[in-house]
Amino acid sequence: MKRETMQTYITQNNLNALLDSLIEAGVRVVAPRISAGTPLYEPLSNSAEMVMDQLPRRSAKEAFFPVCEDIMSYKKEGQQVSLTDIDPSRFPETVMVGVRPCDAAAIPVLDAVFSWDYKDEFFLERRRKTTIIGLACTTADDACFCTAVGISPSGTKGSDLFLTPLEDGGYACEAFTEKGEALITGNSLLFSEATSSKSLPIAEPESETFDLKKVKSWLDEHFEDPLWDGIAVRCVGCGACAFVCPACHCFDIVDEGTEKAGKRRKNWDACGFWKFTHHASGHNPRDLQPKRYRNRIMHKFKYYDDKFGQTLCTGCGRCVRICPVGIDIAAIVEEISKK
Amino acid sequence: MCDYTNKNIYLPYLTTVTEVIDETPDVRTLRLVFQDDKVKETFSFRAGQFAEYSAFGAGESTFCIASSPTRTGYIECCFRSVGRVTEELRRLEVGDTMGVRGPYGNSYPVEEFYGKNLVFVAGGIALPPLRTLIWNCLDLRDKFGEITIVYGARSEADLVYKRELNEWQERCDVRLVKTVDPGGDSPEWDGKVGFVPTILGEASPSADNTIALVCGPPIMIKFTLPILEKLGFSDEQVYTTLENRMKCGLGKCGRCNVGNIYVCKDGPVFTAKQVKAMPMEF
Repeated sequence: MKRETMQTYITQNNLNALLDSLIEAGVRVVAPRISAGTPLYEPLSNSAEMVMDQLPRRSAKEAFFPVCEDIMSYKKEGQQVSLTDIDPSRFPETVMVGVRPCDAAAIPVLDAVFSWDYKDEFFLERRRKTTIIGLACTTADDACFCTAVGISPSGTKGSDLFLTPLEDGGYACEAFTEKGEALITGNSLLFSEATSSKSLPIAEPESETFDLKKVKSWLDEHFEDPLWDGIAVRCVGCGACAFVCPACHCFDIVDEGTEKAGKRRKNWDACGFWKFTHHASGHNPRDLQPKRYRNRIMHKFKYYDDKFGQTLCTGCGRCVRICPVGIDIAAIVEEISKK
Repeated sequence: MCDYTNKNIYLPYLTTVTEVIDETPDVRTLRLVFQDDKVKETFSFRAGQFAEYSAFGAGESTFCIASSPTRTGYIECCFRSVGRVTEELRRLEVGDTMGVRGPYGNSYPVEEFYGKNLVFVAGGIALPPLRTLIWNCLDLRDKFGEITIVYGARSEADLVYKRELNEWQERCDVRLVKTVDPGGDSPEWDGKVGFVPTILGEASPSADNTIALVCGPPIMIKFTLPILEKLGFSDEQVYTTLENRMKCGLGKCGRCNVGNIYVCKDGPVFTAKQVKAMPMEF
């Protein structure tokens, strides 16, 4: 049985007051803010920094899976080495606010990777300590295609609490998890009864819905296909698409330091890089850019689905916006869906 | 200090190098003993599994565990120095500390091989992933039928585990066929001259109730599979290992996949039937 969700209302002022009181209490509050002219999900020092009307340039994943993070440190004395572990319990309690449905929907997708079989506590402990407040989109641009991959601009997947902007300037709030409910009940004076104010128009991207089953069944049969040679010849292998993607999660493990002392780190990586699959022998199973781009499409629309039953793309459009050579994944998948 | 209770899946065990053996001018074996008493006692693995080996300051490299699970108290790895990490590993001396994460991946279904004949076919540096199983089986010798080992390298100098080749040659319960590529032999060479697939064909082991285990460079595997087929081996009777580049070994970092198969989790041991069903991405 689907449980009843807790529905309530909060004004912009009270939302700001809530965030300020959380910050005051030592909670890390992450929200879209302007950083060097660019909207990014970053920790706020006060609620006035929050910008709710711009899609952050990078996704929300880095709150759980930082671009670079220490996983241990080492120190060598004579022939002995001592290691210092990282204690995940030191990760801060976090509230993320203004998370777009495309970003929030990608978080359960990442959960599957980091929790199946071996548990990555760096990711999972941050997840446990984070409450996600989603925000419905009232603006969309040409690159947005969430609806094409089955996500909605008012979709609540991945959100503990979800905000829908209303005409009166406040937000309708709906809690979907205990974490979301706790935020309401713990600050009940800031929330009030749901109002009759209407929702602002939700921005539906204009792209057509892809038949993802059809896309997958084509991919199942077409590892070798002239399509791959055609679409990625111009790809320069910069990896930017993977770095801005809310669902891409490939990483490298590297030592940074000297022979005597240093840190071992988990850094973001990308299947578009030539070195990603390069063997010590010199052999490279994905030696050409089209093979690497094929892996990107296959992983998102077939391999991940084979393993976890979901698509590894939430249609945020960031890769389309950032690609220096104008590769449009939505156009490629649309082409495949029409084959 | 680390007590391995924080459940950090990326944290290596510390080991001490207790023996350094030069197999060839650029291939080295390291014998490693776990420093933590509890780990030393509880660490166990199966033939075919691999590990991530740390040279602190340079990073990690992926190799199989080359020693046999029947020989406890230590593990061995065997590697060629070709990159930053392996160059650093090569600098380690007896008494130095090295990191090991593992064991990872699947393994040879040794119990399914009980009562069967075994044919091992290896080329060059690819003997270590079979050597773990060879000793595993020799230490349980009664459980298997005939054991044949066909091993070759470019030249005599490139043969690894030379001392063990001699040991196998002297055993009456093992048939060792060793070979070097044409031009790789010296006047003292007492083995065959010819490429591994050709020599395997000449040795002509029976496919009846037999499992073949093949490890080598892609070119050797490519020419060995048709020979085995000609000898009557079905694809289910042939096992090999895939050796894609890895980082995490845990099914997360995303690079070792061949199509939707993750070598680190679904492999590294596969039957020829499984390999033939994969897309050409290895």
